[in-house]
Amino acid sequence: MEAASIAHAEHHGPPPAHRSSRVEAPTLGMMLFIISEVMIFGAFFTAYFFIRIVSHDPWPAVGTHLPEAVAGVNTAILLASSLTIHWALVSIKHGNRFGLRAGMVTTFLLGLTFLTIQINEYIHIGFAPHDAAQGTIFYALTGLHGAHVFVGLCALLMVTIRAFRGHYSPEHHQGMEVPGIYWHFVDVMWVVVYTTVYVL
Amino acid sequence: MALSAKIRAPGWYRAAALEVLGLGFAIGLTALVRALMHQHPIVDGHAITIVALLSVPLGLLLGIGTCDYWLYWASGRPTRPEDHSDHGARSWRDYFRVNTDHKVIGIQYTVTSFFFLLVGGLLAMMIRAQLAKPGMQFLTPEQYNGVFSVHASLLIFLFVIPVFAGMANFVLPLMIGAPDMAFPRLNALSYWLLPIGGTMMLMSFLAPGGSFASGWTAYAPLSTTQPVGQLFFTIGVQFAGFSSIFTALNFLVTIITMRAPGMSFFRMPLLVWANFSTSLLVVIATPFIASSQFFVLLDTALHFHFFDAFVGAGKNGNVIMYQHVFWFYSHPAVYIMMLPGFGIISEVLAVKARKPIFGYRMMAFSLLAIVVLGFTVWAHHMFVSGMSPWIRIPMMITTAIIAVPTGIKIFSWLATLWRGVLHLDTPMLFALGFLTMFTLGGISGVMLAMIPFDIHVSQTYFIVAHIHYVLFGGSLFTIFAGIYYWFPKMTGRMFDDRLGKWHFWMTFIFFNLTFGPMHLIGIQGMPRRVAEYAQQFATWNLIISLSSFVLGLSTLIFLYNMVASWRGGPRAAANPWRALTLEWQVSSPPPIFNFDAVPTVVGGPYEYGVPGAVHGIFAPPEEAKPVSVGAPAGARTGTASSASSEESRE
Amino acid sequence: MLAFPCSRVEESNFQGEGHAMRRHPLVQMLVIGVVAIAIGIPVALIIPWFPANGSLQAGNIHTLYDVLLIVSVPIFVLVETVVLYSVWKFRMRPGQEELDGPPIHGNTRLEVVWTALPAVLLVSLATYAYTVLRTDEKTHPGAMVVNVTERQFAFEFSYPQGAGKQINSPALYLPGGAPVVFHLRSLDVVHSFFVPQFSVKLDAVPGITTTLRVTPTRLGSYPAECTELCGAGHSLMRASVHVVTPAAFRTWLSSQKANGAPPVGNPPPGASQAGVPGSSGPAAASPAASGGSSSSSGAGSTAGAAGKAVFVGSAGCGTCHTLAAAGTTGQIGPNLSQRLKSDCATAASIRVRGRTLAQCIHTAIVNPYAYLPAGYQAHIMPSTFAQTLTASQLQALVSFLSSVTK
Ligand code: HEA
Ligand code: HEA
Ligand code: CUA
Ligand SMILES: [Cu+2]
Repeated sequence: MEAASIAHAEHHGPPPAHRSSRVEAPTLGMMLFIISEVMIFGAFFTAYFFIRIVSHDPWPAVGTHLPEAVAGVNTAILLASSLTIHWALVSIKHGNRFGLRAGMVTTFLLGLTFLTIQINEYIHIGFAPHDAAQGTIFYALTGLHGAHVFVGLCALLMVTIRAFRGHYSPEHHQGMEVPGIYWHFVDVMWVVVYTTVYVL
Repeated sequence: MALSAKIRAPGWYRAAALEVLGLGFAIGLTALVRALMHQHPIVDGHAITIVALLSVPLGLLLGIGTCDYWLYWASGRPTRPEDHSDHGARSWRDYFRVNTDHKVIGIQYTVTSFFFLLVGGLLAMMIRAQLAKPGMQFLTPEQYNGVFSVHASLLIFLFVIPVFAGMANFVLPLMIGAPDMAFPRLNALSYWLLPIGGTMMLMSFLAPGGSFASGWTAYAPLSTTQPVGQLFFTIGVQFAGFSSIFTALNFLVTIITMRAPGMSFFRMPLLVWANFSTSLLVVIATPFIASSQFFVLLDTALHFHFFDAFVGAGKNGNVIMYQHVFWFYSHPAVYIMMLPGFGIISEVLAVKARKPIFGYRMMAFSLLAIVVLGFTVWAHHMFVSGMSPWIRIPMMITTAIIAVPTGIKIFSWLATLWRGVLHLDTPMLFALGFLTMFTLGGISGVMLAMIPFDIHVSQTYFIVAHIHYVLFGGSLFTIFAGIYYWFPKMTGRMFDDRLGKWHFWMTFIFFNLTFGPMHLIGIQGMPRRVAEYAQQFATWNLIISLSSFVLGLSTLIFLYNMVASWRGGPRAAANPWRALTLEWQVSSPPPIFNFDAVPTVVGGPYEYGVPGAVHGIFAPPEEAKPVSVGAPAGARTGTASSASSEESRE
Repeated sequence: MLAFPCSRVEESNFQGEGHAMRRHPLVQMLVIGVVAIAIGIPVALIIPWFPANGSLQAGNIHTLYDVLLIVSVPIFVLVETVVLYSVWKFRMRPGQEELDGPPIHGNTRLEVVWTALPAVLLVSLATYAYTVLRTDEKTHPGAMVVNVTERQFAFEFSYPQGAGKQINSPALYLPGGAPVVFHLRSLDVVHSFFVPQFSVKLDAVPGITTTLRVTPTRLGSYPAECTELCGAGHSLMRASVHVVTPAAFRTWLSSQKANGAPPVGNPPPGASQAGVPGSSGPAAASPAASGGSSSSSGAGSTAGAAGKAVFVGSAGCGTCHTLAAAGTTGQIGPNLSQRLKSDCATAASIRVRGRTLAQCIHTAIVNPYAYLPAGYQAHIMPSTFAQTLTASQLQALVSFLSSVTK
């Protein structure tokens, strides 16, 4: 059961594919993946909608309250990290390697701070997911986002490492641009989560 | 090669080692956590199972080598230069390794899914044996629930959805004149996620308390109060789901960025259009079933309360929410299981009727219309669910309207047949069988859209009849048509047309004898998902069971035909059907890199009967090679201007 | 006719037969189609699709279905005829291997027609269905209220009597001709309530109360089925519905009030399902004769009878357990006629569930998994009987079981 004739074995490498769109394949792929991610959050927000709106239950559950202030600070931190990663991108576009590295490191640290504050909040918030449906959906939404921050951090770590290993150049920096898009998405998503869960 | 070396090199040895490691990790982690939380006993089978269901497959994926390149890349180490060693298959062994060739992956996909068709079908045989006469036969009620749940889950998530992805994987890049998919390694990963999901669902039979038994819909809170077997579904679906999401991303990017010069959107074969639409559905809808199963997992494993209605006043979860989230995926899913079939039928009919597809543009637009409408009808599965009644009305209307674009397709196909020169060989027979049977299933669907009637037949065998007329008479018939149609291209051999015809007629006749009567007993009130039923339905069920056994045997004819022809069939010509689309313009099976040079498309794909019509020409490379993007790791050369000049040519 | 090289077909080659093609094939096909439709519609309508027409709603829905058939048959026939006719007329004949069909790319007028027609058809169908829905779900002010409580794997019907009092029954009794409102609740997972002869169905959802309206019009005994997968006992979750004359209904209701004893039992699943209305109609019309068990328990106020009533009735044990003394044949749980005594005698059981048979049975009911008999698994029998059964019901049940397993 041969699937490819050996006749062409000596032909080395595929013919270069024609490029029928101006968009970079990896960028487009990331955009589409982000659509999927948005839908995952969409499903969790559906759960939130049903538990909070459709069931007409108090929010948050009676006897509990949410630390809007702390979370607000956290929001600022995460948004700042969006700026720093953008700075990193702009720097490498201008061939400024220091800017790239400094930008990546700060971004990573800011993200890490956000995550630690979030975990600390879990510890002191005073209710558990299994106390009430409100607790369930609170932990679900913030936890889902936390997981995304974690994944984002892993990506940032790789980029940072590679940045220090001298990768990327003004014309070759897609490897950091694409994770950057993801990181911006994670930040925007947090703003939505923050407003719906804490503020409203 | 020394064992140590074998274990370091990607492959089954390393996979086995890492799986063991994964199991150890599961035991260790759970024990640690429980110890820290002072829970006893420290070793808890339930907890271990949950973690192991995630960590062991991960071990397999890492071990078999799906992620090596990325790990190198991520760690910033110099990635080994692409030597195409993992490209193309030289012996059958290569099909059991990680391979980035879309043709190899396509065959891996297809064969794997057909294995699950056989297993799922075998389970169906057990269902029918149990129901052959009233009174418990050889299955206990909970075993029976398990059997039909696995039956459906395998056939939906491990057969219909992936087999379409598999066939498209093989032919789609060829059709649009691309050397491979946009992300070959992601493509390989998508494939290897599949057997994991399937094996998991099958292994649930070994779980204490039996396999998952809450139907393929896994309604909460039943699914959150089931024995551990349920988790094999909850988590297995995640693997199948991510597999199809990644494939969908890959298809979309490939179609958008890698079409051959001159291949404008309205020169794409309809199969490409179909997979484009399907991939949109997958990317947008699949996250919802993933989430629904996350909820179930959290409820079972960590005692969350998404679906617990008895927490206490003002603190309760919401049960109906599960159904909304689930169906928001699972209705689009039924079109995920049909649109690629529509594509296949368009290819087969045009070639076998020797005529252009009637109303090509409307065919393309109707696909997109179905995609859009498909997201507006989910609650037609919930007419009797107790949701707020007003939602039913808009859903009834949209559900009815969705028959319009589908009708456009059916009628256009009929017009394509009209005055053609019909080659009535096996692929064509299955295509025509699809036309008739799917119309029936679709019409019963429209009846179901009519709320009062649905209130009567919902959750009865009328639904089971509808399911199988659309999924078997619809999807499966198109799959058979496609498999026979591209068999020469995929294997380089011709199949036995006589056996193929036998297969068709047996399937067609006994399919109707099996599922036709279900409409009647359904309306008369026989509920679905029952291991035991009233005397009054005995006769019909016996007839149904007997026919279903013959239906099963007909599948064995197909099996024999495929295996025998693949091994010993006559060699196939490059273009045995005199088709115009690009995949038929290269040798059978295609060369390892598809094309020596990317072809240039100069006309529509279905210009049969137009004097001197051509779809693609193999222009000298320099004319058809301004840029390259398919090459992995985003190598980018060339300029955008040349791309735009391509655009402006249309 | 001679073969052409594939890409060199001119329209003209089709003119000759083309003209013929354009006229009478369509006519021919039209004729075939009309005949097929003329045969198809009556056949479709003659088939006895539905069970007996037992309610106002059923009547409307049967009519709706007839309309759907009348619309669907032509559509199906249309598709079939074109396919079969093309196969017959246009199939490749020897010598045509290289021939292509005429390059017809489309026809805008035709495409508009087959987009618009179905659309109109479907919208009007939906409108009609909507009106049917409206009439079926019209609210009737003085409608009788019946609360349906569902649980793995049994129904309980209760008739509010005011002052918080109510009459419970495992079997549903309804006065013919009067509109009824069901309030459905579930104590565990999603269940459903379906009476084929009524053509109405609704899920019972944990946490909320769902409302179902029906006006029974036909005296007789019918099955009530749980049609939503709810676990191992789903296929056996059945109850019986008796539509009786208003007078008979009142007598039944008062008889219930009179002894106030735990509700009467429902016949075993097999029997209750095969509700062939015609035959059992008159019988059920007089409640005294409906189900031998009712009269028996109505008379016997002894713990035994009461316990038996709970066993087959409100507790629904019979749906899962076989017990000769109660005439139940459930097959999910242990067969109590055979196993109860022996299982309680085992050393392990005595350690966990106490020495006496009564202790053992009591534990086995309120805390089923304290000790699992060999060959049975947890999470199937509800462990909520301590809550769902009243102390007296539980007491009666225990004494009944220990008496029959002596
Ligand atoms: C391939 C899969 C597939 C496809 C394509 C469809 C297509 C359709 N389905 Fe089906 N459906 C399922 C798979 C599918 N379904 C499954 C698996 C279930 C059960 C899930 C479960 O509970 O387990 C289900 C259940 C289901 C229900 C819920 C029933 C219930 O549980 O109570 C409903 C209700 O509206 C429905 C409707 C429809 C409609 C209107 C279409 C339409 O898209 C059909 C459109 C096609 C046609 C109408 C035929 C061709 C058109 C013409 C010839 C034009 C002229 C026709 C007219 C004017 C009528 N389906
Ligand atoms: C593509 C999807 C698909 C396919 C192909 C089938 C195929 C079949 N199904 Fe399936 N079925 C579903 C999807 C499908 N089904 C779904 C979604 C449900 C709903 C489940 C739920 O309620 O949750 C369902 C439910 C369902 C029921 C209702 C169960 C219940 O509600 O109680 C029944 C009962 O008859 C049934 C029967 C059959 C039969 C006889 C076949 C036959 O076509 C099978 C034919 C046989 C084969 C195709 C293979 C035979 C092979 C051999 C005999 C030997 C070779 C085997 C090996 C070498 C391993 N199916
Ligand atoms: Cu209760 Cu099914
Ligand atoms: Cu649907």
